[in-house]
Amino acid sequence: MVPTTTKDRSEGREEANPRTPPESRSTSGKAPKACSLSARGEPFLWGFGGSLAIGIMMILGFMTLILWNGIAAFYPKPLQVVTLRDGTLVAGEPIRTESFQPQEESPGKGDKEHGESPSAGPIPALRTLYRIGNFDLYNEDFRWVLESSVEKTATPPDLFFVERLEWGPFVGTVQSIDLAGSQIGGPSLSTNELYSAVEQAAERRAGIRSVERGDIAAVNYEMEEARLALKKAGLKYGPRSPEYQAAEKGYADRSAVLAERYRALEARAHELKSQDAKFTITLADVSGREKVQKLSDVVRMYPANLLSVFQKLRIYASRWWELLSQEPREANTEGGIMPAIFGTCVMTIFMALAVAPFGVVAALYLREYARQGRMVSAVRIGINNLAGIPSIVYGVFGLGFFAYMIGAGIDGLLFPERLPNPTYGTGGLLWSSLTLALLTVPVVIVATEEALAAVPQSSREGSLACGASKWQTVKYIVLPRAMPGIMTGLILAMARGAGEVAPLMLVGVVKLAPELPIDHFFPYIHLERSFMHLGFHIYDVGFQSRNSEAAKPMVFVTTLVLITLIAVMNAAAIYIRNRLKRKFSAGGF
Amino acid sequence: MTEGASGVRRRSVRRSVLVADRIADQTIRIGGVLVIAAVLGILVFLVYEVVPLFKGGTVQARQSFALQEPPKDIAALTLDEYKVLGVTVAMDGSITAFHARTGASLHVPSLDLKGKKVTAVAKTLDRKDLAFGFSDGTVRFARVAIEPEIIPAAALPQGLTQLSDGDSTDGVSVFSVIPGDQIRKVTAKIYLSDEIQVSKTGSPIVAMDYRSAGPWDSPRRSFVTVDGQGVAALNRVVSKKNLLTGKVSEKVVSTVLPQLPQGAPVSYALLTDNSDEVYLAEKRGRVYRYNTRNPQVPVLAETVDLLPRGVELTTFGFLLGEKSLVVGGSNGWLGIFFRLRQEEAGTPDGYGLVLTRKLEPQPGSITGLDAGQRGRLFVTTDGAGDIWVRHATSQRTLLRLQPEKDRGRVTATAFAPRGDGVLALQEKGGGTFWDLSIPHPETSLGSLFGKVWYEGYPEPSYTWQSSGATDDFEPKLSLVPLIFGTLKATFYSLMFAIPIALLAAVYTSEFVHPSVRATVKPIMEMMASLPSVILGFVVALVLAPVVESWIAAVILAFVVVPLALVFAAHLWQMVPAPVAIRLEGLPKLIIMFLCVAGAGGASYAAGPLFERLFFAGNIKAWLNGGVGSAAPFLFLLLMPPVFFAMAMVVPRWPGQNPGRSAGGEERFKAAALELVRWLGLLVAAAGCSYALALLLQEAGVDARGGFIGTYVQRNTLLVGFAMGFAVIPITYTLAEDALNAVPDHLRFASLSCGATPWQTAIWVILPTAASGVFAAIMIGMGRAVGETMIVVMASGNTPLLDLNVFDGLRALSANIAVELPEAVKDGSLYRVLFLTALVLFSMTFVINTVAEVVRLRFRKRAMQL
Repeated sequence: MVPTTTKDRSEGREEANPRTPPESRSTSGKAPKACSLSARGEPFLWGFGGSLAIGIMMILGFMTLILWNGIAAFYPKPLQVVTLRDGTLVAGEPIRTESFQPQEESPGKGDKEHGESPSAGPIPALRTLYRIGNFDLYNEDFRWVLESSVEKTATPPDLFFVERLEWGPFVGTVQSIDLAGSQIGGPSLSTNELYSAVEQAAERRAGIRSVERGDIAAVNYEMEEARLALKKAGLKYGPRSPEYQAAEKGYADRSAVLAERYRALEARAHELKSQDAKFTITLADVSGREKVQKLSDVVRMYPANLLSVFQKLRIYASRWWELLSQEPREANTEGGIMPAIFGTCVMTIFMALAVAPFGVVAALYLREYARQGRMVSAVRIGINNLAGIPSIVYGVFGLGFFAYMIGAGIDGLLFPERLPNPTYGTGGLLWSSLTLALLTVPVVIVATEEALAAVPQSSREGSLACGASKWQTVKYIVLPRAMPGIMTGLILAMARGAGEVAPLMLVGVVKLAPELPIDHFFPYIHLERSFMHLGFHIYDVGFQSRNSEAAKPMVFVTTLVLITLIAVMNAAAIYIRNRLKRKFSAGGF
Repeated sequence: MTEGASGVRRRSVRRSVLVADRIADQTIRIGGVLVIAAVLGILVFLVYEVVPLFKGGTVQARQSFALQEPPKDIAALTLDEYKVLGVTVAMDGSITAFHARTGASLHVPSLDLKGKKVTAVAKTLDRKDLAFGFSDGTVRFARVAIEPEIIPAAALPQGLTQLSDGDSTDGVSVFSVIPGDQIRKVTAKIYLSDEIQVSKTGSPIVAMDYRSAGPWDSPRRSFVTVDGQGVAALNRVVSKKNLLTGKVSEKVVSTVLPQLPQGAPVSYALLTDNSDEVYLAEKRGRVYRYNTRNPQVPVLAETVDLLPRGVELTTFGFLLGEKSLVVGGSNGWLGIFFRLRQEEAGTPDGYGLVLTRKLEPQPGSITGLDAGQRGRLFVTTDGAGDIWVRHATSQRTLLRLQPEKDRGRVTATAFAPRGDGVLALQEKGGGTFWDLSIPHPETSLGSLFGKVWYEGYPEPSYTWQSSGATDDFEPKLSLVPLIFGTLKATFYSLMFAIPIALLAAVYTSEFVHPSVRATVKPIMEMMASLPSVILGFVVALVLAPVVESWIAAVILAFVVVPLALVFAAHLWQMVPAPVAIRLEGLPKLIIMFLCVAGAGGASYAAGPLFERLFFAGNIKAWLNGGVGSAAPFLFLLLMPPVFFAMAMVVPRWPGQNPGRSAGGEERFKAAALELVRWLGLLVAAAGCSYALALLLQEAGVDARGGFIGTYVQRNTLLVGFAMGFAVIPITYTLAEDALNAVPDHLRFASLSCGATPWQTAIWVILPTAASGVFAAIMIGMGRAVGETMIVVMASGNTPLLDLNVFDGLRALSANIAVELPEAVKDGSLYRVLFLTALVLFSMTFVINTVAEVVRLRFRKRAMQL
């Protein structure tokens, strides 16, 4: 506190500012004539200041909550084995401990039986939430353990935390691994062997994946294209025309070739899989129930209680890398969020591309071209007004106008062969970007207008006096000078667009998109595809998933990523503004 | 500059420059106007999508024809789903089938009723199944099944007769060309069952009703009959399949209903689908309602006259779902009755028939009723030959159809199963077919914004329930609960956010050093850039459980934090002036922080104690109304107003004004006195309000059931808090800007006249900036009205109409987000959701426009000052 106090004191001496602290006026020592205490309104002042304090505490508390939970979510926690009084063993990650009022002692009915005995009311008890994993064995992921029922708690070193592709994590010990027939188990199994087996399994998994998702998907894509081409020919020339007959023949040949390729690939995938299935690991939970698992289903495993800080950090980093680079699995509650990050960025960029010219053109028109009068000020009110129209209304408009009206029209004209499956006639990347562009256009217009207004009139007059045309003046004098303001407005619009979810729920965001909107198939950018979005991911994982407790870490890290994205954009806006300001302020008139 | 020089110059302007200039000029103008038009386009588009909701139906086409062999004594007229085939069954069992649009006759074998005289006919709602009652007390069932079949175009038989464009016939079936190079073949098939002797005495059947489910060869049939001797019986056909022979044997299980009054001439009978209710009606309008829930012990539950004396009952039937009983009279009167739970009716089963909807009367007596098979559309025919298409929920008369007058009385009408066509036959063999389009019959201003008495509801209500589990669900599309939800969320969030935002703005603008302001303001603005989905998630998933287990502490915090601040202020007054001046600014703000945090911590610690003292130890039970008394909470509510009233009344005593020559000593004394006065007032106010609370409690006042009540985990309190994050920054920034825009010379003038900064802020700055501050509030309100994700996630989405702050709500915006993805394009729900968006648009538009106009005025005024 000391430095701030001194700083403030030093500033307190600058009496010039009228808004320096209230008492500064009486530092002269001469008390004013009628100074009652009520005139100073101290209690009210504290109310005012308290409000400010509450406001700041709200935001700081909120940010701390998100940062803390987001940053800590992936750090490996120790595993505990709790022996309960009734002899059951519970093993898992302790998530949190809280005090609660046991409800079973005084449920609504019980109260009447006990009569009015509030003094003998429930005594808060402590309980701890454990992530026990092993959903396939227990049918639950989490378990509350009452403090009073615990006999002892231990942290055995041989307990592993195994992250799996399916069924969530497994908490237990490793019994043995079976590497295509050679069984290694018990004490002869070293950790290094285990890790290398897991690593090899991961390679096999990647191999299978590249066949299934890469090659087979490509064949499927080509088959679909061929089918559509045939249908298109049928629609264009009629089913009895020679063109159609030719197309039919071409299709038959093509599909025969593709089917051959498909069979080969499928056989290969099958072979890889059956090979892979020979590598298994036998796990056992804390009470000895065994579970045999394909090694390639193990994403990551570690003996939680043996890790050094460095190893923990490595796991932490590898989890973040998985988050940023992988696709989601297990109904989005695990794996990565790469498609969502990608979708958010692509959508925001397209939105910026759409909003920038329109916003700037509209602002130029309002400020430079339109005759200033009642009409223009009414339009300005309208535009400011639009900034306040709820985003969901834009979503409704986007769905009804863009997707169902324009999109359906495009489908009828350009993609009749795909009907009745809509191509553009449903939500998608293009419509989402345009909807958000419409939503953010007022932000850009207002910012651009302000930037244009800040360009001194003398600059324009000078330019015109030198013989430049109006467009030359706008292009070479006005726009460059207004650039910082325009860029700021644009980036702020992007930040707003990136965080907006409600309209996107209507015009093209999905919980799981099978394909990215940009890929290696012609025409490379698929504007009609629906996509994933970080904000919607938060909503979906947090609210639609089976177990919101298990999904929480995922939601928090997604939140952190989204906030970071928005913070980076805001920071970029400030940076660009400052930089360009400096660049152009030199040549002021 | 000489003329020559300028001339030279002009020539030297490159053409490309001029062209570019012109192109840019045009582009920018057109582009600018387009952008602005696009923005208006949103409004226009929303209106365009909404307007069809309020349009009635339209007649797409009308075709009149004359039947070659006019059927006599029509018992039933059936129209198929595709509106191509009409089939009449006459009382003598003869069948006439014809093309519905041209009247061209088709060959369908007649029913062989062995020449017996039919005395009663019953048909099911879909008009497929018929039951005939004969003069000898026997009953036979028939089915007219119109079966469509899709065949490829190549399989179209040769030698068909063209009927109308697209339709042709081979004399038995109708073939229609449908998209996708296919042909739809529609054929009528007739089935007839064996006789069943129902009346033991062989007395003729005078009235009957029939329900059938399942395929023809193993149906579940139930029917009610009344014979000429007034014996009413509920019969069920039990079919059993012999496993060895495969033969189906049928057995009729009859239950004789309690005896009707002697000589009651029953003319109408109705039976519900699961045969738990039987209605018998006399011509004079007397209805006997039997409760047959227990088929062994049927009860005559109610005898009631539905029509005034002198009016003859002419129409008696159910609508889809069998909850609406349509009753029509000979004077054109038409009403809908529900069977509702009515304890005061004194009926044995506690139900009673209640007239819930009175529909527009028709000019002639109501002679025919045709219920639609999707929704609550139905057609009524009157004696004058008018055919009206109506909807039960919206109580609208959608279309008034008139067949040609010169062809006599309308003898039969059929309403197309999809509600998109009406076929009417007339006495002299004339027939008319209307192709209708009634896309949104269930919506009207009344049903969207008014109270509607829905099926099964005990009273008219505002209800939103757009979809149900069963096909015969009646959609309830009242926007009132949604608008109420939006207003409720807005109100509670503004209650929380506006004081904080405004007070913080005043403090930032007037009482802290600009350097502090420069850090504080961006922090508050940072809140504005938080996506609302994050706010919603944190509040609903992280905060909601915490708040739920610490409600008492949260309520306590609302009391403790202000008290602690005021208490701290009084202590601060006692701090010697030099020290106070030194600590002014940031340190003081930090002390305030600590004060708020400490108060928060104290309320957390004292929560359980508070709960025990005020809410009988269990606040949730207390909120449910189960335990405890109302007084403690009333006391909390009364405390602030009583305190302020007393503070107004009780004067300051003389020694309290240290003013004249305030030395340190005297100042301290005055401050101490002030503190004593405050504490004294507090205690006195507490005593007073407790006494008042007790009085009010005696008078039966209880806040529970009003704006507090049963606690739900996702509730308005949380919505208000989360929305605070959205509303506070925007209101704060705008209000602070407005206060800051007040020119400094006003401050200087006020301060130099001897006003304290407090007086300056309240009496000079705030009034000057009032309109700007008002605009800030309005814009904050606009934000709260339209906020979507927070409400979706934190509010529980229950469309309720109560003020309870601990209960959920469903806002307009959340409703769109939740329901629009599943709404069928161009359906009623889809358009109603567009209407919702339009309402939202209008609400924010009004709020924002007011704000904007006020803000512009303020800006002008601030410029002039």
